[in-house]
Amino acid sequence: MALLEIRNLHATVDDKPILNGLDLTIGGGEVHAIMGPNGSGKSTLSYVLSGRDGYEVTDGEVLFDGKNLLEMEADERAREGVFLAFQYPVEIPGVTSITFLRTAVNAVREHHGGSPFDAMDFVKYIREKAAGLNVSDDMLKRAVNTGFSGGEKKRMEILQMAALDPKLAILDETDSGLDIDALKVVADGVNAMRNEERGLLVITHYQRLLDYIVPDHVHVLAKGRIVKSGGKELAHELEESGYAEFLEDAA
Amino acid sequence: MPDGSGHMQPYLDQALEGASNLVGSGVDWIDALRRAGADAFGTHGLPKRRDEYWRYTNLNALADEAFRLANGAPAIGLPSLPHKLVAELATYRMVLVNGRLRPDLCALDGLPDDVLVSGLEDLMAAAPARLEPYLGRIIRLNEMPMAALNTAFLRDGLAMFVGDGIVLDKPVHLISITAPGDGPLMVQPRHLVVMGKGAGATLIETHVTAEGGSSFNNIVAELHLDDGAKLNHFVFQEEAEASVHLSGTAVAMGADTTYDSFVLQSGGAIGRSEIHAYLNGTGGDCRLDGVYLASGKQVVDNTTFVEHAAPGCRSRQVYKGVLDGQSRGVFQGKVHVLRDAQQTDGHQLSRALLLSPRAEIDARPELEIYADDVKCSHGATAGELDDDSLFYLLSRGIPREEARRMLIEAFLAEAIAEIPLEQVAEDFTTHVRQWLAQNVGNADGQG
Repeated sequence: MALLEIRNLHATVDDKPILNGLDLTIGGGEVHAIMGPNGSGKSTLSYVLSGRDGYEVTDGEVLFDGKNLLEMEADERAREGVFLAFQYPVEIPGVTSITFLRTAVNAVREHHGGSPFDAMDFVKYIREKAAGLNVSDDMLKRAVNTGFSGGEKKRMEILQMAALDPKLAILDETDSGLDIDALKVVADGVNAMRNEERGLLVITHYQRLLDYIVPDHVHVLAKGRIVKSGGKELAHELEESGYAEFLEDAA
Repeated sequence: MPDGSGHMQPYLDQALEGASNLVGSGVDWIDALRRAGADAFGTHGLPKRRDEYWRYTNLNALADEAFRLANGAPAIGLPSLPHKLVAELATYRMVLVNGRLRPDLCALDGLPDDVLVSGLEDLMAAAPARLEPYLGRIIRLNEMPMAALNTAFLRDGLAMFVGDGIVLDKPVHLISITAPGDGPLMVQPRHLVVMGKGAGATLIETHVTAEGGSSFNNIVAELHLDDGAKLNHFVFQEEAEASVHLSGTAVAMGADTTYDSFVLQSGGAIGRSEIHAYLNGTGGDCRLDGVYLASGKQVVDNTTFVEHAAPGCRSRQVYKGVLDGQSRGVFQGKVHVLRDAQQTDGHQLSRALLLSPRAEIDARPELEIYADDVKCSHGATAGELDDDSLFYLLSRGIPREEARRMLIEAFLAEAIAEIPLEQVAEDFTTHVRQWLAQNVGNADGQG
């Protein structure tokens, strides 16, 4: 059984069709990249999968670990193991990062029958995860993403991913706003989490990120559908040729 | 509608009835003060919608119910207070039950020399001359009709004098318990605080209600800060559902004084905190902050008037509220900068979070500026929880109701973080959490 199976997915935003019959299957341990021009539906796909309000599925189905993902609320999907790394992580003044992380991790642990961390144990747990990502204690004490640089925000996203240990991680334009050094730190963090079970869906406009997080499969999304699939070399072809042919094809 | 004469008469009658038997009666200035209060209230009547400061809060409840002045303090014990850390804090404690001092519940041992904390009534009897320069001197009776009514009843309350240069080692905790019995019961407490030159103190007020019928608590506080004095003033207003809580405070600030006020209101059918601050000396610094929580059909009102009369003063106001159900919040704030008050730095901000489509906020921040070299700002926002923030928390597996509570607490935390006394800040936070646990649950839906 595949980890994620998307069949004939149609979705609208404000009654405007964005996804128009998308099919995609991701197996455990696989890294899939979705590339596409602006407006092709990349971010919509990430929000539909993570269950954001306002993204209406009008047809098709999504099975996650054999369960109907679309029937679950956003928070339940997350507890079941779907993680979205945001393109623009949200600043939440007044909530410290450590409290936020602990609340989230405990919600997921309790969902799976585990016992929640107390404050002391959690500090140990999160410090271990944070070390490799260059996330300082100071960042953990600050309010969530508040006043963080672009690089800090993305590192915090990856820390959340590491802490929550999802089955499927969706990375939405994780490279945007990062210089090459920050990109390497983030990519190393993601690569460290690759294993036999975990699925990764990397959504990006540019091929650059895929030099560091090397995918097993690359798909081209245009006008709300997968129009071409291939191996990692497809990313390089796209870098050369651009997306023009797909836009024309679809038009 | 309470439209003056008809409905105010029962209140005025009660004041006039008892006046000749009250302590201090026969002392000319006290008689004159009570009479001035009765006259001002008699002329004005109960506040009406056309009164500038009463546009959004109507007192029909006072017209509909025959509140009777409390007669003595019932022998109830000290209830366990909802805020634990402050309760455990070492303080000088004053306890009023139905406005009357309960010496058996007070704890004033170890007060420094030249500090007096006493019942107002006792001081009126023992040393009225000490009160004369202060009592009733800064309340503008014609601008505060309910304070005028309180003045007509002048007797109960707290008197506190802190001598020049003395900084109190412990906060003074004023616990005000209203025990309405079968009700409807009325209390008219009057507090006076006089801070000498360079004196410092913290005053914490707790307002709670014992079991019983409806009650009407009409409190007035007069605070005099001589040059260089500093007063921290924290108020927990947690009265019961059937309570009308009206509080009017006037603070006169000398040169280089600091007044730091924080009011938490979550109780009462009507809860109103009205603060008038007069910055009369250069270098004064006035902070008026508050947090309010309302549900059901509660009305919570914060009204402020800050008068910059002297140059080089600073005032800051931040009021934040959370309104659920059909509750209504009111913020009316006016910063009035007189012509000579150059280099005034005055800011005010009202922010309300509406958790239900039927909740409402009326916010009216106002600046009136006659000086030409000032830095002033005001603002008001009202809205729902931010969708992006909520989705961010949900996407991390945090259940919806918990996510909402976290965001609401975060919204209020910014204001509470400004409180300089840690125990008060923590108790405020605990109170907010308890309120959220009770009011923001599954039954509340999507808000």
